[in-house]
Amino acid sequence: MIEAGIEPAPPDWPRAGDEIRAQNFGPFAREALARYAAVSGDDNPLHLDPNAARAAGLAGPPVHGMLMLSCFEPLIMRWRRDLFIARLSGKFLRPVLAGEGIRVSGRVMRRRDVPRPELTLRLIARAQNNDLAILGEAAVLYKIPDPLS
Amino acid sequence: MKAAPDPRVAALAPEPCADMLIRLPPIRVRTGAGEVAGFLRETGDARTGGFVPVTFPARWLALPAIRGLILQLIGGDGFLPVHEAQSFAYEHELQIETDYVLAVEGRRTAKPPRLTLKMAVSTSQGEICAHLETVLRIVPLNLEPAS
Repeated sequence: MIEAGIEPAPPDWPRAGDEIRAQNFGPFAREALARYAAVSGDDNPLHLDPNAARAAGLAGPPVHGMLMLSCFEPLIMRWRRDLFIARLSGKFLRPVLAGEGIRVSGRVMRRRDVPRPELTLRLIARAQNNDLAILGEAAVLYKIPDPLS
Repeated sequence: MKAAPDPRVAALAPEPCADMLIRLPPIRVRTGAGEVAGFLRETGDARTGGFVPVTFPARWLALPAIRGLILQLIGGDGFLPVHEAQSFAYEHELQIETDYVLAVEGRRTAKPPRLTLKMAVSTSQGEICAHLETVLRIVPLNLEPAS
């Protein structure tokens, strides 16, 4: 049972093909990766230690994949506040190195109105050099926005 | 994800082999307001208002028991887990300052060399709120000194 209203879709409910305007996140300096490691607990040396990164075949520490995947939620919720993110997934395709930022964007792939308003979103995070860093997908449901959030 | 193996895991787990599956005993966790606020701050989410971000449960992958499970499944030094894919599926939103119970299982496959963690997040009353799946690629480290 997913927590979302069973209200009908609002008049401005998005349609397949609608774009979510791209937003930039970062750049993620090494200090930012250290702070993320502290709050997430992910202190894998790959992300924090240049020697560990080199030993894994990388030119430098990569940004945590989960840090980049987490950027999709603010992207979606700045686009529309009347959504519940029921599913979010991502494949980490290319590393983004410390010091770089990402550009995240999305597109509505599918709209469903019954049994409840639902959208399937394709989500993309690209590195500065335009490499595809994360290919993601989300399923979002309509819900009445919380006036306090 | 470096940490000493959790003794509870070590007691359960066999020696690393080609394919294996390990289930952990239930783990109690809490969505503390301070932890949630710190997570929001460092993930570029400027919202406030006492909600739990979708990706917050990934934080629980760093719990000692789960780290120990990962280390056990990787099979020792000389390898590093690299995040390959992650998914979250919610039945109910998580609430802030609330206790939950995690059910965690880890599976290692030899071909391809992957470690898959599945986590179910339930209320203390047993109602399922969310499922997570984490896929880690097991990368051998080049331990030769850099020239």
